[in-house]
Parts: sequence; structure tokens; C-alpha cells
Amino acid sequence: MFRPAFRQLRLSRAFATTRTAFAQAHIPRQATHSLKVEDAPIIQYVKRRVEERRRLQSEVSDDALSDEDIQKVRKIRELEPLQDAWTEWKHAKQSLEETLPLLSDSDPTMRSMAEEEYASLSESMNRMVEETFPSLLVPTSDTAHLSAIIELRAGVGGSESALFTADLVRMYTRAAQAQGWTVTMLASNTLETGGMRDAIMEIKGKGVYDALRWESGVHRVQRVPATEASGRVHTSTVSAMVLPLIEEKASNSADEELFTMDEVKIEVMRSRGAGGQHVNKTESAVRLTHIPTGITVSMQDERSQHQNRRRAFQVLRGRLMDRKLNQEMIDRRDLRRNLVRSADRSEKIRTYNYAQDRVTDHRLGMSVKNLNSVMEGDGLQEFLKALQQRYHDDLLEDVLSERSDSER
Amino acid sequence: MPVVRTLLSQLSRAIGRQSALSELRWMQQALSNPPPGISPACRSLDEMVARRVRGEPLQYILGSQPFGPLDLAVRPPVLIPRPETEDWTLRLADSLTPSPATPFRTLDLCTGTGCIPLLLCHLWPLGSTHATAIDISPDAIQLATENATRCGISTQAHAHASTHPENTFTPILADLMHPDFAQQARLEPPYDLITSNPPYIPQAEYDALPASVKDHEDIRALLGDTPSPLANDVPAQDRAKGLTFYHRIAALVGEHGLLRAGGTLALEVGQGQAHEVAAIVQAKAGVDKIDVWKDPWGKERVVVARR
Repeated sequence: MFRPAFRQLRLSRAFATTRTAFAQAHIPRQATHSLKVEDAPIIQYVKRRVEERRRLQSEVSDDALSDEDIQKVRKIRELEPLQDAWTEWKHAKQSLEETLPLLSDSDPTMRSMAEEEYASLSESMNRMVEETFPSLLVPTSDTAHLSAIIELRAGVGGSESALFTADLVRMYTRAAQAQGWTVTMLASNTLETGGMRDAIMEIKGKGVYDALRWESGVHRVQRVPATEASGRVHTSTVSAMVLPLIEEKASNSADEELFTMDEVKIEVMRSRGAGGQHVNKTESAVRLTHIPTGITVSMQDERSQHQNRRRAFQVLRGRLMDRKLNQEMIDRRDLRRNLVRSADRSEKIRTYNYAQDRVTDHRLGMSVKNLNSVMEGDGLQEFLKALQQRYHDDLLEDVLSERSDSER
Repeated sequence: MPVVRTLLSQLSRAIGRQSALSELRWMQQALSNPPPGISPACRSLDEMVARRVRGEPLQYILGSQPFGPLDLAVRPPVLIPRPETEDWTLRLADSLTPSPATPFRTLDLCTGTGCIPLLLCHLWPLGSTHATAIDISPDAIQLATENATRCGISTQAHAHASTHPENTFTPILADLMHPDFAQQARLEPPYDLITSNPPYIPQAEYDALPASVKDHEDIRALLGDTPSPLANDVPAQDRAKGLTFYHRIAALVGEHGLLRAGGTLALEVGQGQAHEVAAIVQAKAGVDKIDVWKDPWGKERVVVARR
């Protein structure tokens, strides 16, 4: 008489994971956990959205569609993937409830099958709470297509800070190359004593900006400088600024929002005397000033003034876009009092401690042992992933709190 | 690194520290990663610095000069393209809109490396211009031809042009000052666009030029007071002012109907020459609407006239 119930369980597994690696001893904890999961705010939220969809469906008239109806139909369609996931969730939940009494069945074979089933269902339900629902609720990134410009500037610590700036250039280059991104050095000031006073790198590829944007801030290094005879540990800093890179092809429409040419003063460096045929010295440096914001960008690394100008505009666009994105984030936070953190560029975000062979990200409260793996780029991926996850979680929290606000 | 430091201090003494830092980096780039198809004139950094310290232009040592998005080969004694010329050529390319349906016939006089027409050919849509480029120097014609090939611009009109539209570049060796120039250059007027960066430096200024210009670049690309039978056509008050070529070009345009009605004439000029050149073309070339464009350093640099 248990057979029909089991057939249903088997069917439900068709859309669940086939991984059943749960040990028997874990089951009681799993059971309580799964029940708690049903009260999770995200489940409550999804349930409300699905109810909202059903209500909209009942309101839409069958024949002539008014503008209002069209809006509703659009909403209904938008919520369809969520509805599908919800159906799947309810199905799994029902199967789970049916499995529950079988866990204490007198037949050991039946019991072990039920245990296996239970573990698999719990796992798939957890996955839905942790991954499926959040990915359906958090809006897709507007900046997913953007590449990035990284500006690094030596800060406190003199020549040691310049050395670490060069180390960070290498770290980001290695990390980018491991991802199949292309790296171009746009400008750099190399010091005779070694290291770099500053550097501007362009990193192109899919999702580069979203992956790197949380690198903005102050990076602190603690180590014994190569130049230090007494072996004392120094603390130095490098500030990083990650800007979105807007491709020139796409920039015409984007420029209209960011700036007009009237607002940009273009200056060429130094005097050329008579210029023209009289002079064949290379004078290619360019400086842009965005008058409303006072942002200035200088470029002098290329032999061609045209190239320097093009790159200066790219950096200017990035800075203005960065301001815009940051402002939008602040506005959203004020509006919905959510937790999305705006990037404070003076904030110390990470410490690279050579003596303790450890890198700590202060925002995540996360440390990676093996500093070398971070500097070689591989270890950095862990931070990049965790920071992206944190942002995603913030956005989800934002979505959930927005809803409960409006319902209050 | 110590070697580089020694080279840097040698170069700093010659051209100043800031320039030395940049130029040394460009030398290293030219050795390690030169533009496709252009090999530098030197094998080593030592040799590059030694030549630069002796006053040779950087561009000849590196063998290349960027011009807009193009990398052009440069070789002595052909005039090195200047950033002022780059700037106005880009602006000109933007301000005119030829198309495959209404292609431009373009004439460039005193073409040198071919920089002006090659950049126009590169920037404008395929099939929208056919450029003729003229120079008195076989070195220049040879270099311009190489540059066209390197930039992927065809140097002869192909039979299948109707199915595969392309911009073309035809280099021709001819002497602008020769009385039979129009015939010698096989001109086929009228042209939609005539451009030129003719030699415009007056003799007195030529004598005072920096060595890197005077000792290395072709005098025929620089000196605007050239002795020639036609120089007698230059009015007395315009002699020794570097204006000989403007009188000649304006006369050719006027007498041979070189410019189509509605066409554009763009002439680069030296410091302080813009108004005199504007007056010359107005008097002799039969053009009416005349503009003067400034270069990025604020100097009046181009006389742009429309017929």
C-alpha cells in the first residue's frame, strides 16, 4: 500500500538533484532545518508574489485588453519563472511530508529508501532557497556587459608603497589573464627606485566590472620592505579605483547622459613654439577637465595625441559613470533604507600581511592563508567571488525589505 | 636596469628628463612590440639612445609615427607627420560625408608619407573616396606606396570595384612647380576635395630651425621660398614669407578648374600665415567661403575654403 506514494517520490526526483550523500545521522537536523526553511522570509515573499500573480490572472479580462490589462499581462509573464519554481518547491515539500512517516517504518528497506529520499529532497529544497529563488528575485545586473579600468595610486609609505603598487598591478594582471580577460596598461609612472607611483590598467572581458568593482578602496600592506636594513615591518597603502569601461562604439548614447562636449575643456601640455613643420618633437600629452565636477584626467603615455585623448575620454567616462552608479546606490539606500553598501574610497578594505602569510578582507571579515596564492591571482578569485556574493545578498535583502515596507 | 639608468641619464641631458622617460619607454616598445610590418631603424636600445643624443628625430629612429588610428612608416628624409596635421585631418574627415553613392575624388599635394589621404581613406566608408597623392620626392612616393599597402588601402582601382567597394590611393611623382605640372601629374579635374601641407617655412626661419628638423628632414618639404621659374609669379610683397606654394596651388585650382563647385580646399599653414593664405586663395582660386581652423595649441593652422 506504500507503492503509489513511492512512485510519486520517484517522480519528484526527476527535477531534484541526484546527489544523495546525506548520512543517516544528519537526518534529524535536516528535518528541523527544512521545516524552518519554510518560514524563511524569502519563501514568504515568493508565496506573496505567486498569489499576486494569481490575483492578476483573475483580474485580466478575456476579450478586449485595456492598457491596464496589458500591464497586468506583462507582469504575469514576468512572474512566470517564479511561479514555475514555486510549483516545483511545493511539489518537493509535499513529497517531503509524505516521506516523513516512512522514516520510522518497521521495514528497514523501506526506511533506508525513505531516508535517501528525504535527504535528496531536503537538499533540493535548500538549493531552491539559497540559489533558485534569489536568482529569480534579484534584478539582472545593468553593468554585466561592462569591462573595467583599474587606477592604482601609491599612498602612505613612500617607495614601499610604490613597490606594492607594482605588486598589485601584477596581481590583477595575473587574475585577469587566468579568467581569459585582456589586460592593457594605459598609463604608468615607474620610479627609478623600483615600483610605480601610479598605474591605469584596462581590463576587457565579460563581467569584468561586476567582478572587480568591489576592489575600490584602500589596500594595506604590512611587510619588511626589501630596502629596510633593520628588518622592521612597515605598513603602507595603495588606493584602488575601479571604473566601468564604456566602449567607444556604445559610448555615443551613453555620453549624452554623462557629459556634453561643452563641459569638457581639452588642453594640450606645453608650448610647441611655432608648431607644425617647424617642430618634430613629440608633444602628445593631453589633459581633460570636466568643468561641472572638476574631474581632470591627464594622459601622456602614448606617442599619439589622438590616442592619449581617446584614452583620457575613456577614463573620464569611467569616472563619471562610476559617480553615477555610486549615486544611484546611495539614492536606493536612502529610499529603501536597505543595506547595500556604497563604496567608500577612503575605506581600508584589505590587508596583505606578509609576516603572517595572510590576506584579510575587512568588509567580509574573511582571511585567506597563503598570501602568495592571492598575489599570483588564484587566491584573489576567492575574494572576488565572495564580494560578488555579498552584493547579491544585499540586493536580495533589499528586494525582501522593500516588499515588507510597502505592505506595512 | 643599471644600463637603462645610464641610457636614461644620457638621454635626459640631451632632451630633458620628462621627455627622456617617455622616449626611452617608446624605444623599448618599438624594439619589443613594433607596429605590424614596421621594424625600427635600430637593433638595440644603446644604438637608439646614441642616435637620439646626436639629435636625430625619435620618429626616424623608431621607424614609425602614429597618425590617428594608423601607424605610418617614416624614413629620412620624408617629412614626419605632425600632430597638428593629424588633428585637422581627423576634423576634416568628420566634417565631410562622402559615401559609396557619391564618392569623393580627393587630391593631396605634397603628400610626403601619404598621411592625409591615407587617413581619409581609412576613416571614410569603403568605396567613398579615390585619392591621388602627389610628391616631388621619389623617396616620399615610395614610402607613401608602402604605407598604403601596410594600411590595407589599394593603390590601384580594381576591375571588381563595383561588387567590392574600396577606397583607393594613387601615388604620383610630379613637380608642383613645373609649368606642365597638370599634365605631368595626369590630373583629372574636377576634384571634390583638395588637401595640402605644402612647405611653408620662410628662409629666415628655416635657417634658425632646430637641428633635428633641419639636418634630417627634406628641405623640399619645409622651405616655402623655393627658387623656381614660377616663383616670379609671387608678388613682391609675398616673397621671402614662405608663401610660394600657396600662390602656385591657388593658381592651379583657379586656372585648371581643379575644384568642383561645392568642393573643399584645405591647406595647412605656418604660424601667422593664415590670413595671407586666405587672401591668396580668395584672389586666385575662385573660392568664396573661407574658414580658418586652429590647432590644439591655439595656432591658426588650416585655411579651409569652399567653392
